[in-house]
Amino acid sequence: MNCEEARQSLDAYVDGELELTSQLALETHLAECVSCQDAAKRITHCSLIVRKNMPAYKAPPELRSKVRAMLRKEDEPSFRWFSEHGRQMAYAAALIILSCALAWTWLSLSPAYEKELVADAISNHSRSLMVSHLVDCPSDDPHTVRPWFNGKLDYSPPVADLTAAGYTLVGGRVDILEQRQVAAIVYQHGKHVINLFIWPATGRKIEMDVQSERGYHFCGWSKAGLNFLCISEITAADLETFEDEVREHVNL
Amino acid sequence: MGEDREQFEEIFLPFLDAAYNLARWIVQHDQDAQDIVQEAYLRAFKGFHGFRGGNGRAWLLTIVRNTAYSWMNKQAADDKLVPYDEEKHAEIISFDQSTREIISETQKEYLRNALLRLPAEYREVIILYEFEGLSYKELALALGIPVGTVMSRLSRARRRLQQEFAHIRSAEAVNEL
Repeated sequence: MNCEEARQSLDAYVDGELELTSQLALETHLAECVSCQDAAKRITHCSLIVRKNMPAYKAPPELRSKVRAMLRKEDEPSFRWFSEHGRQMAYAAALIILSCALAWTWLSLSPAYEKELVADAISNHSRSLMVSHLVDCPSDDPHTVRPWFNGKLDYSPPVADLTAAGYTLVGGRVDILEQRQVAAIVYQHGKHVINLFIWPATGRKIEMDVQSERGYHFCGWSKAGLNFLCISEITAADLETFEDEVREHVNL
Repeated sequence: MGEDREQFEEIFLPFLDAAYNLARWIVQHDQDAQDIVQEAYLRAFKGFHGFRGGNGRAWLLTIVRNTAYSWMNKQAADDKLVPYDEEKHAEIISFDQSTREIISETQKEYLRNALLRLPAEYREVIILYEFEGLSYKELALALGIPVGTVMSRLSRARRRLQQEFAHIRSAEAVNEL
């Protein structure tokens, strides 16, 4: 190794960054070259002076809080929050939508619900015929029947005079449907009795075209915040006419 | 998310002074240096998952250095690199051997000016090696150059620094006459 080669790796030697073989070769040269020894000393000296005396800039005090504020902002903006919580959000949204769909289906379209309601109404209807408990307030005058419900129900059921259409008012009574007291208005058409149940449509609105079950015809609808459900042995056509008449007369 | 940030701050906030010092030496302006440090910390935080442990100081300073250069439109480094005339500076100039380890305030000022007169490329290698204590290997990573180049660059930077120092000192000495 000559001086020129030695000088090239002298800094790395001083810094302890030379690989072992190069280091040994350089040390061999240094042992017999005073000039290179001096050069090595100068490098060490320079390095030492710079290390001990180099003016260092200290970060201004506000920089730390600026950096921290920026990191916090970066850490918690809404899009990041959403990306972190997006999955939960999606689940929650899906759950809400599913619940709404279920509730809506159950409230408006549930065949099980309507079936139960109709079954109850039919048994009410047949019981009213069997036990000679058709009405508690016998009257063909709507102005007598309607006020009779006052105090017995928390709503006032419409009572229509449908005599002209062939449906004679028999009277009214209080019955039970959906675990609540409902108004039952009784009409007669020929020899047949019609039970018209009326109650507030606070929970579910009903909408049933004329159907038949166990020999009875029934239909139901919602109007003016009330549910109407009528049941009779009369023909489907006559029941439809009855529905039309009632709808027409219910002008609350 | 909060945990990541706390961990990040715990590791890297202690290097805030080093980060600012490096940025300040590179751009030589307080507000710019502060902005660079903030941007560098943001970059570092975004790339935190890529940090595999090891020398956090070197990792962060590399980001600070790169941020500073992109801040200066990437050209500053090249523009400031004055070709070094080996022939002209063949004579070895150095700190006076009698100069003690701790030098006077006046001499410190000379040193500061000498550092400022260095091309950015030499200045950063001096700061990163002598002041921040990065190894040659870390320097190679930080500067994006081979270790062999680190060796020669640091060597030239030291010689150049001593020349500038001697130059300033002699100029001041003349002025004082």
